[in-house]
Amino acid sequence: MLEFIVRRLFQGILVVFGVTATVFVVTRLVGDPVALMLPLSATEAQRAAFAQQIGLDQPIVTQFLRFVGDIATLDFGNSLWQRRPAIEVVFERLPNTLLLIAAGLGAAVMLSIPLGAVSALRPGGLVDRLTMSVGLLGLAMPQFWLGLVAIVIFAVTLKWLPTSGMGTAAHLVLPALTLSLTPLARFTMMVRASMIDELNKPYVKTARAKGLGLTRILRVHTLRNILVPFLSISGWELISTLSGYTVVVETVFAWPGLGLTAVQAIQRGDLFLMQAIVFVIAFLIVLIGIVLDILSKAVDPRMELN
Amino acid sequence: MKKKIRRMTAGVAMLLASTLASSPAWAQSITIAIGSEPSTLDPQLRDDGGERQVNDNIYETLMARTPTGELVPGLAAEAPKQVDATTWQFELREGVKFHNGEPFNADAVVASVARVIDPANNSEQMAYFGTIKAAEKVDDLTVNLVTTGPDPILPSRMYWMKMIAPGYSKDGDLAGAPVGTGPYKFESWNRGTDLKLVANSEYWGGEPQIDDVTYRFVTEPGTRLSGLLSGEFDVITNLLPEFTTNVPKFAAVPGLETSVFVLGTDNEVTKDPKVREALNLAIDRKAMVEGLFMGYATIAKGSHINPAAFGFNEKLEHYPYDIEKARALIKEAGAEGKPLVVVGESGRWLKDREQIEAVAGYWAETGLNVTTDIQEFSQYLDSLMGDGPRPDAIFIANSNELLDAEREMSFIYHKDGAAASNSDAEMATLIEAARLETDTAKRKALYDEIQKKGHDLNYTVPLFNLQDIYGMSERMEWQPRVDAKMMVSEMKVTE
Repeated sequence: MLEFIVRRLFQGILVVFGVTATVFVVTRLVGDPVALMLPLSATEAQRAAFAQQIGLDQPIVTQFLRFVGDIATLDFGNSLWQRRPAIEVVFERLPNTLLLIAAGLGAAVMLSIPLGAVSALRPGGLVDRLTMSVGLLGLAMPQFWLGLVAIVIFAVTLKWLPTSGMGTAAHLVLPALTLSLTPLARFTMMVRASMIDELNKPYVKTARAKGLGLTRILRVHTLRNILVPFLSISGWELISTLSGYTVVVETVFAWPGLGLTAVQAIQRGDLFLMQAIVFVIAFLIVLIGIVLDILSKAVDPRMELN
Repeated sequence: MKKKIRRMTAGVAMLLASTLASSPAWAQSITIAIGSEPSTLDPQLRDDGGERQVNDNIYETLMARTPTGELVPGLAAEAPKQVDATTWQFELREGVKFHNGEPFNADAVVASVARVIDPANNSEQMAYFGTIKAAEKVDDLTVNLVTTGPDPILPSRMYWMKMIAPGYSKDGDLAGAPVGTGPYKFESWNRGTDLKLVANSEYWGGEPQIDDVTYRFVTEPGTRLSGLLSGEFDVITNLLPEFTTNVPKFAAVPGLETSVFVLGTDNEVTKDPKVREALNLAIDRKAMVEGLFMGYATIAKGSHINPAAFGFNEKLEHYPYDIEKARALIKEAGAEGKPLVVVGESGRWLKDREQIEAVAGYWAETGLNVTTDIQEFSQYLDSLMGDGPRPDAIFIANSNELLDAEREMSFIYHKDGAAASNSDAEMATLIEAARLETDTAKRKALYDEIQKKGHDLNYTVPLFNLQDIYGMSERMEWQPRVDAKMMVSEMKVTE
């Protein structure tokens, strides 16, 4: 086990480094951060002076070597936009994003298992059809639109919840629900499908023939069997949320998380902040992968860790 | 797609607006939603609209502007006097104190100037202060500002430079807890969430009416609108023109940005003055004002200079819409069917893509073979300011913060300007002369002449002076300013 973790961590470091290096190159190829940062009417001399101050006048190879050296000591440089250490900005915003993800994905996980199970027990029944329709809607609707509609209904009209921002638990409800709908739909469909598969397997029939109650079969055998695919799909959703959904949801709800910060960093050509964000997100994704493997092993001891 | 969604939301919101109850009455506390959070509260480092929107209330400058844009003394007691070609003398207002008790005096001015121009600070604001060499104390309330060469715009520049407390700037937290002389004092900042200011009861200009103001940072225009409709916000910035019918109250005011196409006067097709004139004649600007801006834009008169700026030539008129004449000119120039590439970007300025596409449509009517090239913003910046070939026509919504024509002249009309597409040496000489002309009347005359020339030779296709639109709650009373500064001390709450 320990050997596995060490090996995966080592591979992970390579991945994180590769991703960050790619970002380093791409950000320097697509645009000139100095042009984005300074007022349009800044003179050529002012642009040159600014570039020199942040080290962008050096050849890209020199910049890259310096960058590698800095990263090795976890120094990401100062955010051009906020004029303070980039990593400080990341760690300030990351907890907000994690809170949003925990609430959104947590709700999705907790609702999807009972919904999927009930649907699977009676395919074509009322609950099933309702769940499937809502699920399809959840997958089809862009979160951007969904978020704005939720704001108009629950904040502007009903005035139950605030429109945007962060602060109280009430502020969390709309963004978390908006975030949860797509994963919820995907989870529920997955639970339903695997459950139907499992329920048709011979071991269930044998168990029922022996007189075991349905609840016990579900709890002891079936759910445990679908837990492994469920873990991998939730890992996938967690990664998509971390690297994608939060960007949209945080923008709509003015939620001060890492996704919104990433968009702003890109708009402002803040290379250093972008590098720090990508580094941390890549690291988290590698970590999620390792934790998922270990969890799957714990659930299904037949699995080989490699 | 995104716009359609916004429109739909606006529709839903409009239906629901009638059912809204009035907002709870918290006397003299207001909430303002701005589009972006200040990157820092240090007033001297960044060129950042979010930072200015807050700090304009905390800090003050030697020169100020009236709501209509006239340059008047601020922390200076009177307009500065010119001692010699490169020295301006400022008398300072007496008895002004910073929020931490430090006195405002010549030392404060010297410290403020020294800090912003210090190369080690790498201030983005050097684009505004590049000509300033030093500030020298004469006596406690008199200070000389020395420039590298004659600089008639120095008083306008000092309208942009915020005065910091010398002691606090050494050991205080300028970036996180600012201390100024202004009508509002910093109270708290929860990064990402909100920022609060309270009235400065000892303000030299009298205590402002509103006791405290909370800023919220909301990027998405639809969300800002929702917050206004739900009663959470009292003022929101950058209300889209199509939303003006939905909100309880709004105010529109001429803004700092003017949209314009810069024409490549050395390019194969656009080097012919007849073609360039045709491009100016082919656009129905009135229809665009109504169709795109619901009337909330002013047609630019003959140039891209901001109408509120010093040096604006008020005698010029915009080209009328005359498509027949435009077609005839294109025919005369033998340019029918010849290619014209229109370069622009999308999403940076109000209705940029819409303006570009509408104009490209009009231009196609003249008989030219028009293609539109909407570029990603950093690529666009390279087209606008890079060393490559000049585009036939490139769109820009040019902003003029200092409200002096020099900026727009040097940027777009001077042949060496970063965004210029002409090679007119004579015009460049005129601009350089104006840059050094300290006689106000003569400088104005030079600018008038340059604009007339640019207009007659059709170096640009000026479109609109864009208006800033603010949404407000029912209880707010406020007339926004032409310099886009959101001064809370000028706002009132009626209840």
